Amino acid sequence: MSTTEILFWFLSALALVSATMVLISKNPVHSILWLIIVFFAISGHYILLNAQFLAIVNLIVYAGAIMVLFLFVVMLMNLNSDSEPQKNNRFKIAGAISGGCLMLIMIDVIRDAGEVQNAKALVKEGNIGLIKNLGMVLFKDYVIPFEISSVLFLAAMVGAVVIGKRN
Amino acid sequence: MFSLQGITSGIQSFLHARFSASGVLIFESLIVILLATTLFALLGLVLVWMERKVAAQMQIRLGPNRVGPMGIFQTSADTLKLILKEGLTPDGADKLLFNLAPFVVMVVAMLLLAPIAFAKGFQVWDINIGVLYITAVSSLSVIGILMAGWASNNKYSLLGAMRSGAQIVSYELSAGLSILTIVVLTGSLQLGDIINAQQNGWWLFKGHIPVIIAFVIFIIAATAETNRAPFDMAEAESELTAGFHTEYSGMKFALFFLAEYINIFIVCAIAATLFLGGWMPLHIGNWQGFNHLMDYIPSSIWFFAKTFALIFLIMWFRWTFPRLRVDQLLNLEWKYLLPISLFNLLLVTVIAILGWHF
Amino acid sequence: MSIDFLMLLKQEMMLIVIIFILMFLKLGKDRSNESYMTIVNALLLANVVIGFFGNEEGVLFAEMFRTNKLMVLEKNILNLGMLIISMQSFVWLKTHKHVPEFYILLLSTMLGMFFMISAGNLLMFYLGLELSTIPLAAAANFDLAKRRSSEAAMKLIFSSAFSSSLLLFGISLIYGTTGTLIFSQIPLHLGNNPLQIFAFILLLAGLAFKISVAPFHLWTADVYEGAPVAVTSFLSVVSKGAVLFVFVSVLYTVFKPLAGAWYNMLFILSLLTIIIGNLFAIRQDNFKRFLAFSSIAQVGFILVGISGSSTFGSASVVYFVLIYVFSNLAAFGVISLVSSITGNESISNYRGFYKTNPVLSWILTLALFSLAGVPPTAGFFGKFFLLFAGAGKGNYWFITIAALNMIISFYYYLRIVKAIFMDENDHPIPRVLIPLMPRLALYTCIAGVLAVGFISYIYDYIHSLSRGM
Repeated sequence: MSTTEILFWFLSALALVSATMVLISKNPVHSILWLIIVFFAISGHYILLNAQFLAIVNLIVYAGAIMVLFLFVVMLMNLNSDSEPQKNNRFKIAGAISGGCLMLIMIDVIRDAGEVQNAKALVKEGNIGLIKNLGMVLFKDYVIPFEISSVLFLAAMVGAVVIGKRN
Repeated sequence: MFSLQGITSGIQSFLHARFSASGVLIFESLIVILLATTLFALLGLVLVWMERKVAAQMQIRLGPNRVGPMGIFQTSADTLKLILKEGLTPDGADKLLFNLAPFVVMVVAMLLLAPIAFAKGFQVWDINIGVLYITAVSSLSVIGILMAGWASNNKYSLLGAMRSGAQIVSYELSAGLSILTIVVLTGSLQLGDIINAQQNGWWLFKGHIPVIIAFVIFIIAATAETNRAPFDMAEAESELTAGFHTEYSGMKFALFFLAEYINIFIVCAIAATLFLGGWMPLHIGNWQGFNHLMDYIPSSIWFFAKTFALIFLIMWFRWTFPRLRVDQLLNLEWKYLLPISLFNLLLVTVIAILGWHF
Repeated sequence: MSIDFLMLLKQEMMLIVIIFILMFLKLGKDRSNESYMTIVNALLLANVVIGFFGNEEGVLFAEMFRTNKLMVLEKNILNLGMLIISMQSFVWLKTHKHVPEFYILLLSTMLGMFFMISAGNLLMFYLGLELSTIPLAAAANFDLAKRRSSEAAMKLIFSSAFSSSLLLFGISLIYGTTGTLIFSQIPLHLGNNPLQIFAFILLLAGLAFKISVAPFHLWTADVYEGAPVAVTSFLSVVSKGAVLFVFVSVLYTVFKPLAGAWYNMLFILSLLTIIIGNLFAIRQDNFKRFLAFSSIAQVGFILVGISGSSTFGSASVVYFVLIYVFSNLAAFGVISLVSSITGNESISNYRGFYKTNPVLSWILTLALFSLAGVPPTAGFFGKFFLLFAGAGKGNYWFITIAALNMIISFYYYLRIVKAIFMDENDHPIPRVLIPLMPRLALYTCIAGVLAVGFISYIYDYIHSLSRGM
């Protein structure tokens, strides 16, 4: 196994284990910290795909900003394992059954996917993820989605201000 | 002329002659780890001593003067004391996070060292998105602080951590924007390129007033991001005992303390690199004679001189300005610094496009 | 180039201009709410009128944005709905503190819908969909003092986040299997690959959430009940209409190769939706909840029309949405007036409504007749065309069940009409004064309900623009 492959398997395992821990941690603060590790693992995957800019932005935006806000809220509300509502067992069973069905279907579908199975990810190749090329694509081909997302943020801000400003 | 570049390339070729590629990688990593740890220890000792001396000078005192000449071994003695002290963990604390937090903060500080060029050709990793890397990694230190504050199970710690989080998250914006002014002028995110672009003069002098504004904003934001006075709300000893590290003692406390000083060093190093040319000697346009004269001073001296000058500036702040209130702090960022730096960035972009800079 | 560019984007540009005008008005000197609303309604009227001028077809930004005459018409229908809602919410907004913000939020969702309708790329489509839901959640919270309103906003944002994640998963699988996001390219790469069908199901589920098709409808009633009436009517008419338009065009063009798969899905979903909508509508007492379930049932009928997969199907959907705008907004207009003046929202309070408010009673009755599909009103023609389009596939017992459900729906619509006209009530809702703007809006709706069915030109025009599979 080459170094890249070892890294790939390590990062994938890390991401999956941490994602599972996000779900099964009793303490919300621990869940968030595990989620941060998930983001790190995904950033690692981006770097393997030679998309350094995406990797770093993923860290800045998710691990650095959004997760910090999550931590803020959870810590201020002082949520802990005691305040977690008790879930009904029937819901748990129903959730397990429906989730299991979805997983079965997904596995089956991926097994039958045909030519997609043989497709290989280009690791450490291609330079579309480099910041220069990304900038070109973003401001040429994808300029309209880029601008629309600014309207989205504006509207979200207006909404947040209105809701937050009670008096 | 003494050159670090010669030493590094010498080691590189020496290792390449004897080991395989991965062996070279392992050896070089070991060397880097060794050097970084040594640097950390040295910096900690020097900076703490320097802080106490500067403080003493500002207040017309002598400062530490018993241990060693001019008290230079005072910090070593303090460190020894901290190492020998028992590291307590409070009863209600979240044990794992409580013990992990100092290391997270420390690791983040160490990671930040990677792209910094200490001298010509003396840099761990000249990543091609260096500036973004710095912003990304430095934003992660909040997580460590929040972990420490929350895990201590102490209201002072939590409040301190919250304040520090709010502060770092908000001041990151204007710090990032002022870094971007240099990126716009240089056209590259790589720290090596940024330094080389200052061959005929530092950006602080070449970029007219907008870059000076960006520099000032960066210094303010850097002071705030490292939780230094006058922005030391996170610790605010008169309000919160010691803020997020109230419950820490012994070596864990020492790690926080060390990380704080390392962070000061790193932000000052970044400011020196971006605005003052890093290791680049003072060059003025094409005054050949003057430039050659300046080149005789080794690049590492230039780098450390600039960095320490900035560190001195930040220490100076601490003893001159009163602490801000939380609302004043957030007002300063969101109502003044952020709009100014946004507008400033626009101005710099115009300058860069029209080629008005020198 | 530049003129074409502006002409193609005229409706989007208009909305952006209005949003900016509102922002600057808010930043400027303080105005009374009346003056804000006068300005906004004038702007919205101009928006509707300008929308009808210059129908250009074309593609912009490397197929990110495309438009044709049908899309322009669809956007005009939405614009009209927005204007009517704005005029109807006059009484409610008069005392509200954040009038310009309310319009900024609704108009940005409109902008999102327009870009979604015109999307030629899955990325644009997704962004438009997000833009058309996130601000709406904030708008649902606009009764700031009411807890129910916040609850509605939370439910809306959670369910839409969940549906967006399904949609996004579907989109990423489609991108993974076809290697393209462009609408015109995707059909070339679609086949019977099970992964693609799975991706399509996820995408369908995401969209089904937004138009509250049966197994994904659970959020609808609570959100409709908690949100302010203006937002509820916007949700049920404008945002649902927009997603339906997109649904038709995406199914008919992008997922044409999967038609065999989606016909069966639509067949089951539509029956389920109609039956569940009808059964739950029968036992509601809150008027908004009632209209929520009735709108679920209406969507079921629209799915019947879509399943026809012909030009006729596409045209009948647009036609029905036009009628639905008028009839549903007439009903919501009356409820909005009554609820913002007297605070009553339950159906049992409407007993004896005719004694005190004859005009409003007639308007409500006509609206309910149209929703039920009683012959002289436009709703009858709308539903008839939908069923007829669905019958084009030859699946007659499917259409029979749908038609039988129409009869069930008569029961609960007429029950309200009976309550209004025949039931006795000691404390009927007091007489409600109708200010000028809501009155104009209500008359427009009623004119629409009565006229759209009979003016055959409208349907012919829609039919001439529509394209089948």
